[in-house]
Amino acid sequence: MEIQLQQLVPIPLKEKFSQRPSNIWNTGIAFRAGDWIKIVAPSGTGKTTLMNILYKVRHDYEGSVKWDNRDLKSITGDDLAKLRQQNVSVIFQDLRLFENLTARENIELNRVLQKPFYEAATIDDMAGLLGISHILEQRAGVCSYGEQQRIAIIRALVQPFEWLIMDEPFSHLDNANTHKAADLIATECKKRKAGFVLTDLDEDSLFPYTHVYSL
Amino acid sequence: MLDQLLKKIIRTGVGRSRFIMAGIGLTIAMLLILSAVQIQVNYNELLYGKSNQDSIANFLVVAKVINGNKRENVLSTEEVEKLKRQPFIEKVGLLTASRFKVSAQSPSDRFPFYTDMFFESVPDEFIDVKSDDWKWEPGSTTIPLIIPNQFLDLYNFGFAPSQNLMQLTQSMVMALPIVLNVTYQGQPIRFTGKVVGFSDRISSVLVPQNFLAMANKQFGTQGDARPSRVVIRTSDPGNPELAKFLKDNELVTDADKTRFSQYRRIVNTVVNASWLTGAAMLLFALLVFSLFIQLTIASTKNEINLLVTIGASPKQLQRFLMKQFLPANVIITLVCLAVITILQYVLQAFLAKQNMNVSSWVSWYTVVTAAVILIVLWLVNYSTIKKYIKETEK
Repeated sequence: MEIQLQQLVPIPLKEKFSQRPSNIWNTGIAFRAGDWIKIVAPSGTGKTTLMNILYKVRHDYEGSVKWDNRDLKSITGDDLAKLRQQNVSVIFQDLRLFENLTARENIELNRVLQKPFYEAATIDDMAGLLGISHILEQRAGVCSYGEQQRIAIIRALVQPFEWLIMDEPFSHLDNANTHKAADLIATECKKRKAGFVLTDLDEDSLFPYTHVYSL
Repeated sequence: MLDQLLKKIIRTGVGRSRFIMAGIGLTIAMLLILSAVQIQVNYNELLYGKSNQDSIANFLVVAKVINGNKRENVLSTEEVEKLKRQPFIEKVGLLTASRFKVSAQSPSDRFPFYTDMFFESVPDEFIDVKSDDWKWEPGSTTIPLIIPNQFLDLYNFGFAPSQNLMQLTQSMVMALPIVLNVTYQGQPIRFTGKVVGFSDRISSVLVPQNFLAMANKQFGTQGDARPSRVVIRTSDPGNPELAKFLKDNELVTDADKTRFSQYRRIVNTVVNASWLTGAAMLLFALLVFSLFIQLTIASTKNEINLLVTIGASPKQLQRFLMKQFLPANVIITLVCLAVITILQYVLQAFLAKQNMNVSSWVSWYTVVTAAVILIVLWLVNYSTIKKYIKETEK
């Protein structure tokens, strides 16, 4: 699946972006299938906005986003759900877990929304790798941010996808845990021959990126 | 598994008590409507059911009201045509009168009698007597007769005791030949009359149509007489429209048979009222149910939003929500049908004691109505859920 951005500008940030150069905003760019893309930008330059536009939780923009030549704005309802179940997975910066469900239930929910990609036991394997086995039966609402972030990462990895969208996915993790999480993500992406788009504040060498852009 | 998780997220316990109230409202409305249907069916069965029908009910002898102002009260051709046009009258049979002088006398001295009399005829299908002897072959001098049952009653209970005569059974009368003298050009022509049956329907002396046609032609002394009476066949003598029509056209018939129309009107009004009440309640119940669904969806708007964000499809959510609401509807429908079935069984036993026969089972109409209501409920649920899920997505 290829993602094409054409003259993309978020309407609330229009004036700000039209005055300075950017690799992404107000230009034409394509993310090819399997690309590992890093987007580096300081705070307030629209990283989260870009992620939300790509995942279609925001529509207030000019220009167009195309998934495999299909305008994202034209994909709605059950089609959009199918895209999110089969082709695109996401890790939000604000995590977005169901606070009343346990960690396991949060992950399980995304596993069974579609025909499961993995067995239920995979949840335990991944939780083990990221060191959160002990909180799987806890309500997500009472877990620390670091734990919630790892729950969100595992939730994104138990479904099938061709693209993984990650918005500052390691912001609440220490170095050691960041490396473990990055290794797991890299393994899962390779397994699916999937690409990803990752945003962060600084440059890093966690992944062998194919492209690095700045906003 | 998905359903269990969704159940935990979308709490349908937005108000168990509200849900129960909505259910009770629906149950009452459904009971009202289904019983209205069942009552209507029972009622029709009582009116038109074979086992409740007596043979005379469907035939009425209709005549003009005699008010003493006119010498003759005959039905004109237009009036007969008008009768034929009425939707509640299926057939009209004219009573043809004899136009010659005829007398009857007993051949035996044991029951001496002599009387001037008359004949009438009517198409056979209007006669309530079935007899193989009811036919006349041209040339035959034996004439079959049908006389009213009332004649025999008058004789047995009025005349015979007063004259110290023997009372007669129907078979005795049928065994007795009667000498009939038709006067033609001053000369009596002798026939033998034989009673072949007794009619409860038509109070006249009936002879076969072909005989009367021949006799009127051959011996007739007066011109064409218009009928003063007709027999009508109707599917429903208690029909208030029929009673009204007769009254408006100055016609009379046996009051006993049409009096029922009074009660019919009252029962009709009661049944219609229960229809209306049931329908109004059903509307309210549907409204309450759909509001309940809206409330559930609105109160879990954020959760539904997040579910859609992580990839739950509107279809999955709809299916889940339908599963939460529809079983209650199905259960309510089944309970209502069961209650109506029991009531009908009790009613049947009760009415049977009073010689009124209704089925001991609920009618198909009732079951079909329940199914239709269930489909309407399904549609209301489905469209409400679909609409509000869509709104939540925005």
